[in-house]
Amino acid sequence: MTARLSAAGAAAFAAALLAAHPAHAAVHHAALVIQHSGGTLLTRCVAFAEAQITGLQLIERARVEYQAQQFGSMGSAMCQLDREPSTVPSGCFGSGPYWQYFHRQGEGWRASTVGASSSVLHDGDVDGWRYAAGTNQTPGNVAFAAVCGAPVAPAAASRAPRATASVRPAPNQTTAVAAAPTATTSLEALATSASPSPKAVLASTGPPGQPPRATAMVSWLALGGAVLLLLGLGAVNLRRRGP
Amino acid sequence: MIRHPLAWCAWATAALAVAFIDRNPYLQALLLLVVINVFLPYRGAPRLGSWKFGLALALVPVLFSAALSRFGQHLLFTLPPIPIIGGRWTLDAVAFGASTGLALLLTVAVFGVLQTTVRSADLVAILPRPLYRAGTTVALALAFAPKTVAAFVSIQEARRLRGQRTGWRSAPDLLLPLLLTTLERALQYGESLDARGFGSGRRSRYRPFGWTIPDVLLLLASLTSIVALVWWPALSYNPYVNLAPNVPGPQSLLTIALLALPAVTGSLARLDHAHHHV
Repeated sequence: MTARLSAAGAAAFAAALLAAHPAHAAVHHAALVIQHSGGTLLTRCVAFAEAQITGLQLIERARVEYQAQQFGSMGSAMCQLDREPSTVPSGCFGSGPYWQYFHRQGEGWRASTVGASSSVLHDGDVDGWRYAAGTNQTPGNVAFAAVCGAPVAPAAASRAPRATASVRPAPNQTTAVAAAPTATTSLEALATSASPSPKAVLASTGPPGQPPRATAMVSWLALGGAVLLLLGLGAVNLRRRGP
Repeated sequence: MIRHPLAWCAWATAALAVAFIDRNPYLQALLLLVVINVFLPYRGAPRLGSWKFGLALALVPVLFSAALSRFGQHLLFTLPPIPIIGGRWTLDAVAFGASTGLALLLTVAVFGVLQTTVRSADLVAILPRPLYRAGTTVALALAFAPKTVAAFVSIQEARRLRGQRTGWRSAPDLLLPLLLTTLERALQYGESLDARGFGSGRRSRYRPFGWTIPDVLLLLASLTSIVALVWWPALSYNPYVNLAPNVPGPQSLLTIALLALPAVTGSLARLDHAHHHV
């Protein structure tokens, strides 16, 4: 009887796991802002289906060329981004300017405490990069809405067609930065870049589905079910003597 | 019951991969529950020493991380500028150390299960022929360590019974008998190996290993778990980025649930055993 109950419980748990939708059902957006040493600004809006992605995944999905070096659990340092510098210095960093990494916080930028491969981005987050010497050289003041447009209401998002993860053209794709020393807009600079055209579309990463809260609830229920099953199994095994 | 050492090795590999690749505390706690469940049907005499050692090992990274790391946004307190330990102590660093410590505790627990379920001689027996000699030597060396500790304790007890001091000052007096005991044991091992014809030619087996259905199932479940881990890589938990861990997805839960198979088969086998006795 106990064996049958255990088998039925395990089968129900497995069925629940298989029936549960993956946690990456809804479509989210994150913005990428890259400011070159010449002041040229490159912005990308990336859609992703997962609940979160890393800063490095954002760059990869925006199809911006990069070369990074891993520094353990603190993440990767950026050696070359969007073909700047033209040649990667030995040991990743030279003696001059380097790629500085920021996260958008409120109306400003906050220096990242970890590298791009360890930073986590959620829906509505903005990552900023600036190639400059000295510390805390933040990119231009670009908000999420300026790159990805106004955030979509959850109800509207759930009615969205079966979308693909995509790079959305930013309204201010080539705008110059007011704070930059050379604030001239440079289309040529972008043309030489290896980045994709703003209309480029990435591969699908899953259709939109149920809201994230429901998905999280399913995950919590599955976790709770697993714990209960294991505790039950442990209780059964504890009641019996060892072999 | 699962007997084949290769199946247990695959299980241990999968469990260690889960413990170290995805450092999510929820998954680590669930894996610990799985390992305890697997241990229960195969347990013999209670050995609290291993668990105490595992818990002590788990606490070391917490202390090191909290004392040495100055990163993190969740401040616990700030110490005055004392060398090495002075400065900000953060909850993020404690969480990072705890995650590392839990992975170490899981390692001890997994090897504890492996030690309970598989004889070291069986492990050596499944080694390929070129590795047989090296494997035997390593197994003997590993077996030597606990026996040396036991000899040290017995010498210490003998001295205490004679009313002699046992503190660190008596270490030189302890070392000589310990060295003699260890050398004597090494000679006995050598003679024993010689008597068994070690290294003289092809090995023979009294009892060849057979694959039973539970063995095959465990091997398949472990391999599936490893493949699932590679196929659906999850973001590794990093408390410096996000202190609250994510709720594990169904894929991660399935990966760990597969590793509970020995607990289920062990429980069912004991049930059959009980029925036969009735």
